[in-house]
Formats: sequence, C-alpha cells, structure tokens
Amino acid sequence: MFADNFKISLRQIRRLLVLDIFGVSSLMLPGIFSAMTGADGVFCLLFGMAGGVLLLWLMGANMKHFEGGYYDYMKDVMGQIIADIFMVFYLLYFVALSGYVLYELTALTLGWLLPEGSFFWISLLLLLLAVYGSIRGIEGRARVYEIIFWFLGIPLLLMLVLAMPMVNTSYWTPIVASDSVQLFKGSVSVLIFLLPLSALLFLKPFCKKAEKLASCGREALFTVTFINIVIYLILLGIFGQNAMGVLKRPVLTLMGMINLPGGFFTRQDVLMTAVWFFALFALLNTGIFQGSLVLKELCHDSKRNYSIYLVAILSFFIGKGLFEHQFLVEIYEIYQSCIALPGMFLVLLVLLLVYQIRMGKKQGKEKVMDVEE
Amino acid sequence: MAMQITPDLQENIKNFEELFSDCEDIKKRRIKVGKHLDRECYIAYIEVAISNVDWKDSAVGKFLEKLRMLPETELVDYVRENVYDVSDAKPFETIEDAAQGMLTGDALFFLEGYNKALKIPDKGYPGRGVYETESEKVIRGSNEGFSESIKLNTALIRKRLRSPHVKVKESFVGRRTNTNVDLVYMKDLIYPGILEEIERRLGEFEIDGTLDSGIIEQLTEKRKYSPFPQFQTTQRPDRAAMAILEGRIVLLSDNSPVALILPTTYNSFIQTSDDYYSRWEIASFTRVLRYAASFLAMVLPGLYLAMTNFHTQILPTALLLSLAASRQGVPFPAMVEVFIMEIAFELLREAGVRLPGANGNTIGIVGGLIIGQAAVDANIVSPIVVIVVALTALCSFAVPNEEFATAFRILKFMFIFLCGSLGFFGFLIGLLAVLIHLSHLESFGIPYLTPFVGADLNGYTDERDTFLRLPLDFLKKRPLYTREDARIRLKLGQEEKRKGEGK
Repeated sequence: MFADNFKISLRQIRRLLVLDIFGVSSLMLPGIFSAMTGADGVFCLLFGMAGGVLLLWLMGANMKHFEGGYYDYMKDVMGQIIADIFMVFYLLYFVALSGYVLYELTALTLGWLLPEGSFFWISLLLLLLAVYGSIRGIEGRARVYEIIFWFLGIPLLLMLVLAMPMVNTSYWTPIVASDSVQLFKGSVSVLIFLLPLSALLFLKPFCKKAEKLASCGREALFTVTFINIVIYLILLGIFGQNAMGVLKRPVLTLMGMINLPGGFFTRQDVLMTAVWFFALFALLNTGIFQGSLVLKELCHDSKRNYSIYLVAILSFFIGKGLFEHQFLVEIYEIYQSCIALPGMFLVLLVLLLVYQIRMGKKQGKEKVMDVEE
Repeated sequence: MAMQITPDLQENIKNFEELFSDCEDIKKRRIKVGKHLDRECYIAYIEVAISNVDWKDSAVGKFLEKLRMLPETELVDYVRENVYDVSDAKPFETIEDAAQGMLTGDALFFLEGYNKALKIPDKGYPGRGVYETESEKVIRGSNEGFSESIKLNTALIRKRLRSPHVKVKESFVGRRTNTNVDLVYMKDLIYPGILEEIERRLGEFEIDGTLDSGIIEQLTEKRKYSPFPQFQTTQRPDRAAMAILEGRIVLLSDNSPVALILPTTYNSFIQTSDDYYSRWEIASFTRVLRYAASFLAMVLPGLYLAMTNFHTQILPTALLLSLAASRQGVPFPAMVEVFIMEIAFELLREAGVRLPGANGNTIGIVGGLIIGQAAVDANIVSPIVVIVVALTALCSFAVPNEEFATAFRILKFMFIFLCGSLGFFGFLIGLLAVLIHLSHLESFGIPYLTPFVGADLNGYTDERDTFLRLPLDFLKKRPLYTREDARIRLKLGQEEKRKGEGK
C-alpha cells in the first residue's frame, strides 16, 4: 500500500539534514568564532560552506556510480578488505558523533532545563527515545523531522526578527581583520559541523529520487549557512566579540533577552531551548541510526536491531566520558579535525579516482578488443 | 453433519424442533393450506420479530393467503417457481442454514412435499429506528444518526450515495452471534489492496461473539498498544457517506450504531461534517481551535506544572506572585494537587456518563460547582488548578471524536508525571515520544500524520484541508486514500466547457 516501502522523499531528507547540521553548528560556532575571527566569522561560514559544497560534489560524483548501497560500491571499487576499513571509519565517525551529541544535549539540558538533574538519567532517557525513534526504520524518523521543521522554524524566525532592533551594527566591524590561519581554523570548524552531510551516502537506497540527493544536500547546506550567518550577525551586533566570547551558548542567552510583545512571557530562553533540543536530538538520532546501518552492513545482519542497541550503548559511554573528562572533549576535537574531516574527503576522493582509473582501463581494453576484432 | 431438508414435513419438523428445544421465544405453527386445507405447512419465527397479532397485512400473511387459494397439487410448484414474489425470500437446503435464516429475524416456512425451507422476511427484530445522534453534534447539516439495525444503516448511506458504484460486501463474524458485518465502499474510488486487507484482518480471528463494532475494531487494529485509534468512528450517515466519497471504506456491524471508517489519519479525526457545510472562514477558525484543543488537552496541566515548579522565570512577576498567593495553604505539592483534581474530574465525567440523563446533569453541577468551590475553600486545591483542569476538560470536549479525545486524556497523565518531575525537559521528552509514536503509526498503510508528512504523495493538495479548510474551489482533489486515477472530485467551469463544445 502507501507506506512501509522504506523510501523517503527529498523534502524529508532536506529537512532532516537542515535540523542535523543547524542545531549543533548554531549552538557552538558563534562561541568559536568570537574567540578566533570576530566579524570575519561570516567568511568562515562561507568558506566552510564552500568546503561543504566540495564534499557534496565528491559525494554526488561517487553516488552516480552506484545503484544499490554505498558499501557494495566500495567493495566493487576497492575490494572487501579496504571497503571494510572504510566502513569501520564511518562507523567510528557516527558512533563518536552520537556520543558527542549526547554529551552536548545532556549538557544543554543540565544547563538550561534541569540544573539539578543527573547525567545518567537524562542521557538514558534521551538514548531510550533515540532508540525508539530509530528502531522502526527511516520512514518514521523522517516523518518526525518533517513535521517539527516548521514548528521550530517559525518561532526561531519570529525571535530573530524581534532581536533585530537590538543589533548595533558598529560591532560588525572591523572586517577582514583576521589572519589566514584564524580564517582557516574557523572554516575547518564550520566544515566539521557539516560532516553529518555524509549520511547522504547511505541514504541512496532509501530515497525516492536518489539522483537528486546531492542537490538536496546542497539546498540544506545553503539554508543552514544562511540561517547561521543571520544568527551570527545578530549575536555579534548585540553582544560584540568580547562579550560573546565569555558566553557559553550565546544564541540561548539571546533568546532569554528578547522581549515578546504583550509581556505574558518575561523570558523565553527555556521555551526556545526546544528548538536546539529537537535539532540536537535529530542529530543524535542520525548518529545512532546511521551507525547502526553501517554496523548492520558490516555484520551482514540486516534484520535484527542489535546494532541499534550496541551503537546506543557505545554512545552512552562516549557521552559519559566526554561529560566527566574535559581532555576527552579535546581529543574528540582533534579526532574530528585530524581524522574525521580529512578522512571523509580522502575516502571519497580515493573511491572516485580508483573508479575512474578502473573505468579508463576497462574502456581501453574494450577499445583494443574492438580494434583487434 | 448438516441435516438436509426433505419432502417429509414431519421429519423436518422433528429435526427443527430438536434444534430449538427449550426455546420458548420461538413460535412454531402448523397450518393447513390449499383450497381444501388438506396440505400441512409449518411456520416458525421469533416472537416479536413477526407481526403475530394480525398476519393479514404482513408478508407471511399474504403468502399464506395466496396458498389457501391454490389447489393442493399446485402448491409445491407454486412455491418453487414463485419464491421471489415475496421480497427477499430465500430458500435453504439444510435445517442449520434455515435456522440461521430465521435467527436474522425472519419467518421460516416448510411445506409438505417441498424439499426446501423458505425464509420470509417481515418487520424483523425490534429496533430504535432513525434517531438524532447523541455525539458528533453539528450546527448545520443532517441530524440523522445510525441505529442498531445494519440494514437501516446501509440504507441511510445508500440514501445519500445513489450510485451503482457503491458496493456492500457482507460477511458474518462471531461463531455464536453470527453478527452481520458490512463493508460499504465506492468501487471505483478505493485504493487497491485496502479492501483485501480489511477482509484478511476480519478473517484472521475467530471469536464467540461480537456485540459492537468496538470489538471488531480492537481485533483488527495493527498497533494494539497505541492509545490512538486506528479506525475513525462515526454515528452520522453523512460523515460515513463523505468518507466513502473520499475512497475510504465504512464498516458497519449489526447491533451497533457506530460505524468504523478506514483508513484514518490525525487530520480526519479533527474534521467534522459541518466543516464542509459552513463557509471556509469559520470552518478554518474552528479547525485551528480543535487542533490547539487536541494539543492542550494533553499538555496543559503538565505545562502548568513545568512553569510554576521549574521555570518560574518565564512568567511575569505579578502573575507569579498571584499564583503563589493562590497556592498558599494548600498542603499538597503542585503535582499531587493537579493529579487529585484530574482524577476527581475523570470521576465526575464517568459518573455523569453512567447516570440517567437528568441525573447526569446534576452530577456536573454538584461536582463542578459545589465540590470544586468546597475544595478551594478547604484549601485542598488552589483556584488556578481548578481553572487549569477545567480548561483542559474544555479542550478535550472540543475534540470532535470521543475515542480520539480519550487518547489525549490518557496521555495527559503521562505529561503530568513527566513535567511534574522533570519540568520542561519532561515536556520535551514526552512531546518527542508522542511525535515519534505518531510518526510510526499507520492506519491501513496510510501514515497517521498525513498530510503533514508525505504530502508529496498527493501533490501537496491534501494540505489545503488541514489547519485551514480552504474554499471548496481549492479542494479539487480527493485525499490520498483514493486510488490514484480517481482523485479529481471537483471540476469547475463545466457550463462554459459545454458551451464551447456546442459551438
């Protein structure tokens, strides 16, 4: 009949990607930029977006060459062993991502919603919910984010409009004052937050119009970059570079400062936390779902849900570790910038090159055979 | 093994009476027919189901009258050849089938020398007739409601849909009740596979009896632990007819005034018949109210607890002080206070439903006004909690479908617990859990949240009949339930087109 075909629409994928990359990037990037680049953070966002476009181009170029799953394509191009190594790389990335997002989401809850709560119970509840969300497949997961997209988007848009009169544009200067190293570091930070886009590689078998996946990713990327630029300029215009540097989550602080007309609510930061709560939860869900998908393929076990439980348990321990030991957060950041980021590009590049070389050889052989005949 | 009906009337009577021994409500009559009254026949029927005071005007009476005028030698031939002169008469070959025929409320006729029994319909079992519906009240539109007779109910639908494409598929459910179940649908509109699916589900269980469509509903639902119903229910023939026009199937069960509609979605539970009879502005306004009500009926007490117990910074100081003052002297924590009031309200509702009409109203006044005021005066609950609980109740009453509203009433307690113990975090967790659950829920393959999800499946046109009910000119396509090649329901400018063709 209608549903249960395990296919999702481009609109669902686009909304899922927007929530995935918007939540954590808008929460973390303003703080990172204020410490590094000031007003030039906008350029970092744009350079980061350019990097994202390149990543999507590489993904699109590879995706053209396979009809089924990404793993099968990797096996065809690189052979079983290297394909398995690549899959382990992706598995590590998604597991680490879900662990980190669990840590961030729990920290957000403890900081803004439930200061007296315990990490254990909050993260356990979140994980149980994420497992429940993942267990019934991609269709239900896509529907959740398709429906909450506007419920989160409209209040956010309203709050940003209300914040605009508070902006002092003199804080937007000086411009082009950062050196190239700072700009590079800022852009790399942006690109790290765009890496969840690589989930697209594994979504091809689930998508109705798979040939448009890369352009769907680009639309999500442009949307998020635009929103992030708006948010960053508003934050910079209200707090200035120095004040923003000391705030933990500037965007949430801003939400607490905006006065809604009518005066029924005096502070709505708690209410607006919902936007980032849902967005981070979407990313947590993506990490667990994609991680379990990779694990399932690696273990050749497509039916059971053990992989979801296993990824969730691993995420819990990673999240707990990050929460309790600050040095692990630094290690995670090093892993993201030195292993995950270059690795994502490298895997796609190697696959594309090897595929092209093999195709070239194959075509050469065919030509020789034609000439001989 | 089934007992065959033979030309020997005495043997047939013996077998039949053995089957219905000790059944005083079944009347059995031996009557002489034929011109000289020398051929015996036998009539059996359920008392009250047949006009046993004066047979003359009944179908049975007229049939016997005719037989009394015929020569004995022609009787069997006449009965055999003119069976269908009597409307809905049906011959049976076995005693068991004949007995089942009689139990549907008709008379059974045996004739000496005739190897079949004849079912002759009459007025049937007593029923209520067509009455106004108790629930699903509308401001504009028909007030007719379904009754307990399935035949009457199918006729009420047929009266509204005078098309040969309307099909009624009959089946029987319940080993001992043998309840008649009809599937009513528009043949050229239903989506392929849905009819087969409901038939498959009906055949999946064997039960001793089904006394209401609610039993069938529970036995054929896929997600049995969900608080949300996966069939829409209605007591209104116009609502059922409207559903059939949308390519949905209506399931009618004998002895039940409640029809089941399948497939269904969240959106269809919020819609009412008069949404389409009234102008679009007011229809849209009430639609938005109902959507908000369905949400608030679930979360309002929880949100109150989260705001007053955990996140007081949200509220203005004056309001906060007023809330604190109203709670002064109340010995219970806010969560217990809300819980007590909600339980008290649910008790009042239950008592109001069970008591006879006038007494039910009294309970509302006693409970709502007297007990409520006394509880506030005695400092058991604060006035603000009474207001919150009353508002929540109003919201749940504004949801047009009782079964659907019940889901929110149950979930409300989950939100009270979550928000009372975890504040706004509990609210978000609860909301996500409900959203995830609803996103996974389907009714006969249709996602429950359609058209808010998967709107692309029908070209984004179903969204025109959700929060807002756009003017009818915009609702040219039938919803997603309909088969793909039959989705156009409204064509405008037909007169001009015809004129153009004429030229």
